Amino acid sequence: MTKTWNETLYDAWGQRHDIDKVYFEFDTGHQQLMIFHNALFGRVMVLDGVVQTTEKDEFIYHEMLTHVPILAHGKAKRVLIIGGGDGGILREVCRHQSIEHVTQVEIDKAVIDMAIEYLPNHSAGAYDDPRANIVIDDGCRFVAQCQEKFDVIISDSTDPIGPGEVLFTSQFYSDCKRCLNDGGIMVTQNGVVFMQLDEVKTTAQRMALTFSDVHFYSAAVPTYVGGIMTFAWSSDNKALRHVDADTIRERFKVSGIKTRYYNPDIHQASFCLPQYVLEAIGKTDNN
Amino acid sequence: MANLFSELVSNESIARAMVEQHGSPLMLLDCDKLASQYRQLVAALPGVRLYYAVKAFPHAAIVNTLNQLGAGFDIASTGEINLLRSEYVNPRSTIHTHPIKKDRDIRDALRFGCSTFVVDNHAELKKFRKYGSRVGLLLRVSFRSPDCAVDLSKKFGCQPDEVPDLLAEARSLGLHVKGLSFHVGSQSASSSAHVAAIDACRELIENAEVPLRILDIGGGFPVDYDNAGDLDIDSFCAPIRVALSRLPKDVEVFAEPGRYLIAPACACIVSVVGKAMRGDQPWYYLDDGVYGMFSGRIYDHARYPIHVYRNGPTRASALVGPTCDSIDVIEEALELPELEVGDLVIGLMMGAYTAATATTFNSLPVPRIVVFAEPARARVAYIS
Repeated sequence: MTKTWNETLYDAWGQRHDIDKVYFEFDTGHQQLMIFHNALFGRVMVLDGVVQTTEKDEFIYHEMLTHVPILAHGKAKRVLIIGGGDGGILREVCRHQSIEHVTQVEIDKAVIDMAIEYLPNHSAGAYDDPRANIVIDDGCRFVAQCQEKFDVIISDSTDPIGPGEVLFTSQFYSDCKRCLNDGGIMVTQNGVVFMQLDEVKTTAQRMALTFSDVHFYSAAVPTYVGGIMTFAWSSDNKALRHVDADTIRERFKVSGIKTRYYNPDIHQASFCLPQYVLEAIGKTDNN
Repeated sequence: MANLFSELVSNESIARAMVEQHGSPLMLLDCDKLASQYRQLVAALPGVRLYYAVKAFPHAAIVNTLNQLGAGFDIASTGEINLLRSEYVNPRSTIHTHPIKKDRDIRDALRFGCSTFVVDNHAELKKFRKYGSRVGLLLRVSFRSPDCAVDLSKKFGCQPDEVPDLLAEARSLGLHVKGLSFHVGSQSASSSAHVAAIDACRELIENAEVPLRILDIGGGFPVDYDNAGDLDIDSFCAPIRVALSRLPKDVEVFAEPGRYLIAPACACIVSVVGKAMRGDQPWYYLDDGVYGMFSGRIYDHARYPIHVYRNGPTRASALVGPTCDSIDVIEEALELPELEVGDLVIGLMMGAYTAATATTFNSLPVPRIVVFAEPARARVAYIS
């Protein structure tokens, strides 16, 4: 009989993976982590019944969560990553030669070690980048106490039901705001909107308490099943969402970065939300 | 092959050896008996998915035995979830059946991967709004059954005529109600209450505007405390089978047996530690009582078959527990031969709502549990 793994995110529907080989299995009694090989998606990491990342489609998520805010900002020098233990965001941030410093705060060092060993292509050596400062701490506590400032903050968390719960609170958003330089941008992963419409509403409400401009942008990531995934976008400068196409093209060209999903046209288009999402967040248009 | 507990009552040396090795009082758990109870109920209710009510006796060896047999689990708290998790139970084989939950309980269950929840009122439905497509709900309906030892339809369950309203509200909240559940009560005298409830639910399912594909018929499958014999569960379930056969063919049926599976799988050994004449009646003081393994005497209204290893003329005697409280009486006037200090007393049918509700009142420890794991003939016993 084929070994399979079934995602338990939704009650009535979900994705199934055939398991070719299990590389890693860890059960603390509180968390169940597994990395296995699937024919279509390569190495798949799952936590508590939910896909976290796969080798084949991770580029979509990591490129979009990184390059959109950094290139929209244009002058970002300092980046803060909350979570992201698999190293994918760090890898993409480090590809920007213009970035001078990146701090990553991951709560569990074991996740980083495990990812370096079993998902080496995610970090692709980024953990050895001299610009990277890796802090093992609770992201919430870190931003509450942090005295440094950053230009871009990226929250790469788990599902809000689970260890990442605190990274979806108003307190966390306002603490992040305090750690942002003027003109800074904060982005967070915010789930698959068709399946979790209420979570977009909640994030929009909570971020609006702190930031004057809150919106979402999107990308379809195959193993975050159920349609487009949304990334929350917040800043105090609405113009950052509307940087003209030529400027983004120029910045992208100067960066010299080769991407597989991101490009300047996708960048602009990703902010165009479907009507049902706009309605959920109480907007009438994408402006 | 002889059953462990029938050997125990017929051969005092077995009980003596256990007490010698593990001390007194003791709870004995026979996993083979548990497995045979499970198989009997599966045979009596073909096609019905059984979810063991973990609350009846939350114990790792019980969960492990039933998990290997393919049972599901009915859970009601995060503590129970942690127990299942430690035994590697597939979360999709669990249903959370407590009709009233804190948000934390819901989140803990979802994080475990349990996504089926029971609700019976508007306020509870609203709690699920933010979890949308993550959850599937069962609506618990109340059918009063006065002939049950424990009537569970008083505290929980909506009235049948509230069902359409609750279904409509769930739909407007974007929630999926996937079926109905009921619990006629514990230790039913006959299955007529089950049959009436199944028939009533069939009507509700047929008239509902949304497909309801699950019917959870709860528990209430009785055991025979009086004779400690095997009650004929097949006869008890025969009318239930007939009622279930009338359901629409897409409906999947769940049940939540607790007592039936575990009660006969446990016995206890206690010791007489004191005796006195009070009036003209002998009182025997035991090293465990209603604050310990016999707690079901109070909470569960159960009277357990008692066995002693003496013969001779009997008289009405009191069996009481070791605490200082006067409510700590197991039997007020049980016909017993004369006992002596140091005698062993066996309690049978002690698995359900006994150790589960035991306390440490008077700072007395909860009795040790000796597990007889399969195969019983090897008598592989370990203390847990």
